[in-house]
Amino acid sequence: MNFFKRFIVDSAYAIQTAKAYQKKKRFFYNILENDENKYKKYFDLSMMLLIFISITILIREVKHDLPYHLVYFNSYVISIIFFVEYLLRLWVHGSVSQAVIKRYEHDSYLGRSFNLSKALRNIINSKLSYVFSIRAIIDLLAVLPFFHELRLLRVFILFRVFKLFRYTKSFQALASVLATKKFEFITLAMFSSIVIFVSSILIYVMEANNPKSPINTLYEAVYWSIVTISTVGYGDITPITDEGRFVAMLVIFAGISVLAFTTSLFVSAFTEKLDEIREMKTVEDISKIKKFHLICGYEEVAKEVAHSLSKKHKNVIVLDENMANVIQAKSDGFMAINYDPGSVESYAKLHIDINSQVESVLCLKQNDVENVYTALTVRSINKEINILSILVNESNRKKLEYAGINEIIYPQELVGMIVKELVGQPVAFEAIHELRSDESNITIDEIVITERILQHYSMIGELEHKRYRVIILGLYKNKSKSFYFNPLDETFLEEGDYLLAIGNKVFIKEFESSLHKKSHE
Amino acid sequence: MKNTTAFVFGFNNYASEIIDNVIHEYDNVHIYSLEMEDTKNTKYNIESFDLGDEWSEIKQLMISKNHVAFCTLEDDAQNIFLTISLRASFQDLVIVSLAKNKESSNKLEMAGANKVIPIVQNTADIISNMLSKPIATKVLHNVLYEKSDLKIAQIVIENEEYFHGEFPADIDWSRYKGIIVISVMSENLSREFIYSVKSKHKVLRNGDTLVVAGYENDLVEFEQLIGGKRYVNWGNWSR
Repeated sequence: MNFFKRFIVDSAYAIQTAKAYQKKKRFFYNILENDENKYKKYFDLSMMLLIFISITILIREVKHDLPYHLVYFNSYVISIIFFVEYLLRLWVHGSVSQAVIKRYEHDSYLGRSFNLSKALRNIINSKLSYVFSIRAIIDLLAVLPFFHELRLLRVFILFRVFKLFRYTKSFQALASVLATKKFEFITLAMFSSIVIFVSSILIYVMEANNPKSPINTLYEAVYWSIVTISTVGYGDITPITDEGRFVAMLVIFAGISVLAFTTSLFVSAFTEKLDEIREMKTVEDISKIKKFHLICGYEEVAKEVAHSLSKKHKNVIVLDENMANVIQAKSDGFMAINYDPGSVESYAKLHIDINSQVESVLCLKQNDVENVYTALTVRSINKEINILSILVNESNRKKLEYAGINEIIYPQELVGMIVKELVGQPVAFEAIHELRSDESNITIDEIVITERILQHYSMIGELEHKRYRVIILGLYKNKSKSFYFNPLDETFLEEGDYLLAIGNKVFIKEFESSLHKKSHE
Repeated sequence: MKNTTAFVFGFNNYASEIIDNVIHEYDNVHIYSLEMEDTKNTKYNIESFDLGDEWSEIKQLMISKNHVAFCTLEDDAQNIFLTISLRASFQDLVIVSLAKNKESSNKLEMAGANKVIPIVQNTADIISNMLSKPIATKVLHNVLYEKSDLKIAQIVIENEEYFHGEFPADIDWSRYKGIIVISVMSENLSREFIYSVKSKHKVLRNGDTLVVAGYENDLVEFEQLIGGKRYVNWGNWSR
């Protein structure tokens, strides 16, 4: 390998392994192309704002003299910003260094000498594929108003409007919907073109030689045909000969069928894709939720759990492969999606970060087999996430444990324990049941000891909970994971500890806020 | 104090769990099933019954007053019919019925059940509480259901003089080291949180029941102080 090629390959490896360079490139890629990046929407909004400013200036400029700084801003500043954006997009589209390395390693593997020209060809092809994409062409044309002295080029400002397509997802959804009917639209365009072509020639032949007819040129004939076939019919140009009027009648009939066909195409395209669009929207909405519980299977228990969590202001997302259950969940007011909770692909399609977004996965189907399958699927994706499942048949308990389920709820066992307590201590049971019920005013709550609280309170005795008619049932020490019932006044508080407080909901809230308020004083 | 007889209607996983948990609380446990198949190959002595029975056999078994019937039939409609049949025949019988959902739960209450356990609702509540208040749920679960040293007890006051006519909300409960009084139920069966407005104006009397949390030794000491005793007052189950 000669010195030049060696230099190219070494440079490519250097760039590929340069952390700072890759970090910058990744940053620009995320902000320009990655829809899941949280900053992209701000970038998109800024660009849309620039587009609207540019259009406003253009409209204002038609009948008014504008200050020079506005024209300067529109012609140069915005254009330069758009041009920089264009160059950045060109940069992040594919990797030159990667293409060189790929070709070098490919050639080395086959024992050939490094073919630099092929590597360059691949790079140029990759970049050109971007340059000639419709979006990139629109981006480039939107930069042309930079040469605003050429009056004709000013109209290219309108291409900035087309740039909106890039930043607005609903436009992209519309384009994707219409793209599904590409063949039908091409057929329609062909039919309309033939009708326009034939009718233009016919009307020209019939009318052009008549001195009273307004149709004197082929251009006027084409204009008349398009206006008529579109069923707009301005009436500024009308045929006056009988032959011409006969042609007009044929074009009108053709126009009606074209209109009907176009409308039906739009309607059918949207009807067919409506569910998909809704699904896309749901997935997008889900990806924006910071924390939620993922309920797999929307059956009897799941319904109640979802309602109960929702009452406690917890976010709930439902996954179910049964469409009827998904519809039910949606009508109950929950975000639901028709994905199979037992499939890894479902979680990939959801675009969620299980670690940071999902608080727990709840396998609540009345079927141990499906719950185990779902749990194993989730566990294969994430080892840490908290999984809770109901157990339908006691003999399957071990299987659920092996599947990595953290919490197993066996309703039958629960009923047995409840009955035991009911029979033994009905009053105590009812009192505790009331504490746990969402309906009751008296409740048991967890108050976490924060750094702010610790600034003013270091011991239980300082909390003044009795003043708020609150009972401190106990203190949960997070470090030692141990519970201290009825702690002594001298018990020290530590950050992360939990107080278990019993009392009226309102008083507990007041007590909790008093702990924080005092920190402000 | 042991109760006398428990009747369990229906034989399924729920019934098995109930039987296992309460069998030691009763002198006699009678199990009935609608299915003849259930009467064979089990460790329990199961008798068959049908919903059209006149309950003459059960009437003979009811010698004293403390009887409980557990209605655990899987079909909610059948369970409601069973509950209403039992209530029609036995006014004083304590009936505990299982319901799948809230709708059936309401109907069972109307049919005369003293206590209804809505299975789905209870399971969902436990799950929801585990997720929203994990520590409190775990502590209460251990106190109520597991073999924990910490216990919740209901203690009936039999030495009201000890409180010197004080209101529950004004009593310094810390003088009873180790225990926490959560609520008080007066003889007229109204249950109030210890710091509620009503408790502020109610003097503790003999016959009132205190719901107390504490370790066994402390509870015993407290019982002795107030001359109280722990027992089940079946009359507390209102209909």
